[in-house]
Amino acid sequence: MCYNLRENNNGGEIVLSKELVHEIISTVLKYGGDFAEVFVEKRYTNSFEMKNGDLENASSGNSFGVGIRGFLNTQAVYAYTNDLSRESLLNTAKRVGEALGEIKIKDLTLNLTPKEIENKHIVLLYPEDITKKKKVDVMKRAYSSAKNYSDLIKQVVVRYWEYNQNILVANSDGVFAEDNRVRTRLMISAVAEHNGVMETGFYGPGAGMGFEFFDRIDVEEAGKVAARTAVKMVKADPAPAGKLPVVIANEFGGVIFHEAVGHALEATSVAKGASVFAGKLGQKVAAECVSAVDDGTIPNAWGSTNIDDEGTPTRRNLLIEKGILKGYMIDKLGGRRMNMEPTGSARRQDYTFAPTSRMTNTFILPGDNYPEEIIANTEYGLYAKRMGGGSVNPATGEFNFAVNEGYLIENGKITKPVRGATLIGKGYEIIQKIDMVGNDVARGQGMCGSISGSIPADVGQPTIRVSEIIVGGRNK
Amino acid sequence: MTYNEFKDKIFKLAKEKGFEAQIYYSKNYEFSIRLANGQMDEYKDANSSSISLKVLKDGKIGSASTTMFDSPERLLEEAITNYEIIDSKEENLFYDGSGEYLDIKSYYGEFEKLSVKEKMEKLNKMFEIASKDENIMMVPMTVYAHQTTEVAMANTLGLDKTYKGDGGYAYLSVVAKDKSPRSGFWYGLAPKPENLKVEDISEKAVEEAKAKIGAKSVKSGKYRVIFRKDEFASLLSAMLIPMISAENAQKNMSPLKNKLGEKIASDILKIKDVPFYEGSLSNASFDSEGVPTKEKNIIENGEFKTFLYNLKTAKKEGKESTGNAAGRGIAPINLLVEPGEKSFDELLKELNNGIIITSLEGLHSGANPISGEFSLGAQGLKVENGKIVSGVEQITVSGNFLDILKKIEVVGNDMWISFGGTISPSVLISEIDIAGNE
Repeated sequence: MCYNLRENNNGGEIVLSKELVHEIISTVLKYGGDFAEVFVEKRYTNSFEMKNGDLENASSGNSFGVGIRGFLNTQAVYAYTNDLSRESLLNTAKRVGEALGEIKIKDLTLNLTPKEIENKHIVLLYPEDITKKKKVDVMKRAYSSAKNYSDLIKQVVVRYWEYNQNILVANSDGVFAEDNRVRTRLMISAVAEHNGVMETGFYGPGAGMGFEFFDRIDVEEAGKVAARTAVKMVKADPAPAGKLPVVIANEFGGVIFHEAVGHALEATSVAKGASVFAGKLGQKVAAECVSAVDDGTIPNAWGSTNIDDEGTPTRRNLLIEKGILKGYMIDKLGGRRMNMEPTGSARRQDYTFAPTSRMTNTFILPGDNYPEEIIANTEYGLYAKRMGGGSVNPATGEFNFAVNEGYLIENGKITKPVRGATLIGKGYEIIQKIDMVGNDVARGQGMCGSISGSIPADVGQPTIRVSEIIVGGRNK
Repeated sequence: MTYNEFKDKIFKLAKEKGFEAQIYYSKNYEFSIRLANGQMDEYKDANSSSISLKVLKDGKIGSASTTMFDSPERLLEEAITNYEIIDSKEENLFYDGSGEYLDIKSYYGEFEKLSVKEKMEKLNKMFEIASKDENIMMVPMTVYAHQTTEVAMANTLGLDKTYKGDGGYAYLSVVAKDKSPRSGFWYGLAPKPENLKVEDISEKAVEEAKAKIGAKSVKSGKYRVIFRKDEFASLLSAMLIPMISAENAQKNMSPLKNKLGEKIASDILKIKDVPFYEGSLSNASFDSEGVPTKEKNIIENGEFKTFLYNLKTAKKEGKESTGNAAGRGIAPINLLVEPGEKSFDELLKELNNGIIITSLEGLHSGANPISGEFSLGAQGLKVENGKIVSGVEQITVSGNFLDILKKIEVVGNDMWISFGGTISPSVLISEIDIAGNE
């Protein structure tokens, strides 16, 4: 295959002039507020759905909108519109300013200097340059591989999703920056049926890349992963119920850290004091074998960007080092409230949401143990090979997540498959109970939902063991 | 370009290229104020609109959407390129707008009349009620919001329908002091501000948090439980709604396939889909394909009566659409569990000893509507001799949803309306698996 290398910001001309952006910011400040921000977004999306090997739905969308935000001290006002006339934009800006109230900035000198930002996430094949047929061919490959995996597979649904998002962020602190984000994802769901029982398997690899993603992953293998989970689980007995040691496999297993700890380290909850980790910087919060980072700079990762949605360059933020709490993920508003610098962690689904502190690519760093060693050292427990999604209440630390593919560990060996397990606990307790960390770090892709919408985020970890966790299953 | 100019242009161009075309235009207004610990955290005042186009030829559909009304040619081109890759043999159709449409009131315009000051007052009141309680250490989030949606739908077969609806909602989360923090959350929604009782919502959130003070896990085992109205509504939304979609049944993705006419639930369970329910924000006289909505029984005396259909799935079985097309799938308008006769207090007495489930967590991941299996984090209240004695935390409930429907012993008469239009009373279940820390 032959690649056309292209410059950043493919097709990304943002049609708001610098003068108009300047005028919007000035208008917010004129009517009230001590900070103003403009977020301009243009996005092209394709989403396809295949069932039974036939492409059933194909839709694409173009959206363009502008979000305008103002602060007054630690209060925030947000408005958006996709009426792009000058009149509508200035009127929206005026409403934002007025809502903020009385304080007026008298002598305003705005210096909006476009900043060159190095593009760390090179895209080779942009969505709009690849024929839709080629994308459908990838879906068919994934479908065939999943369908042919076993006679028990009765249905395979393949979804393809990609977008090309161009943003411009400008604010009264002088930021004027653009970024281009391309995301591509393949999602495979397989349904297996056996003796009248149905079970499902899912795998959804994605990246901050264009169509070249499909040269980097094994599409057939992705289909098999989904099918294998469904086939294994349809013949499985229900998982046991109660407190057990649990070994959680690498890659998407990292959803445990994302939910149980990550969300509670976001300024969104820390700044309000509504996090169990508020005020604990420098303190020991986790077992010594646990170190974790949030890194928005990993080239072409699913959760990476060059700048965050407030225009701050992304970076690698150390969250926990050898059990000690080292940092939070902070956006501008959270930073004002916490009296700390933003960490390049402000994210939003699109222009209809104000940004807030969110995770990018979050993962536990590798430890010393071989995964085989961890299993061999576990007499009886649950092996969570593939995790589903989960959720958390950051104020109480209570989390839950689903195990999509699980097995019993008996006498240091993985034995029979078990289904329907959910893991629950409190984040701050669980990270103290991690007692073995493997050396096999890998990352998996998911969508993370919170107050600024649904965003792509990587989770990751090596194989880990939690000495005890409540497993929701069936009682004998 | 105005909507009408855009529409006429698209329809004309599509016809020239041999396609039928359908346009769905929506215009939304969103207002919300959110407080964090009493301080303005986000004030949102926003307008947006979008237009989606579907083109149809030989039973195949291609779709495209845009928020820019500048180029009907480009939108049409995009929809046609999507049309060209469709290889499904299934037959899609458009609806011509014939038949009878119910006259449903969904727009009141009362929220828009409130001044920002009046809305702030309501919000502050919610915050004050919660924060003045001595057990509450923090009120991380308080929200007062309302929205208005306008929809215009038209196609080249003659369909031409409009809809305007509005409604408001308020919610808050609170944290109560204890050895480990206890959270409480409650929300309410209403078509008119006078029916959105912010004081009640606030008191309810406080009550939720306080009930958890001193809460403990329980021993793993089988328990008699009450699913409180709001949580039973959530479970139905996650499990029953996808199961009754004819599309999921046709595609081997519903455990209810081949179960039409069979007894799938307790004799006393009756579930309907209704186009109008007083107080719901989901009322509608036509579905997302423009087909008129109508009332229908889904489960009657425990027997499964019908799947829900859109045009395509109905045609496949030689039936008529039930008016349940929803976006790209199929969904009820208002899924309604018919109330029984007993009050919540009477339900408690019937329970005698057991657990009330007051919160289910992880419905998006731990509930599988294809297998019917669920395993969810939960919180609740312990009941002994018909009285609530303490809070319950750190438990999971798990089972097979269809099995649970059969184990419903009593249906209450306390009704709850959820955001998505699932309306349910509390129900008493004879036995369910609970895992705890002992």
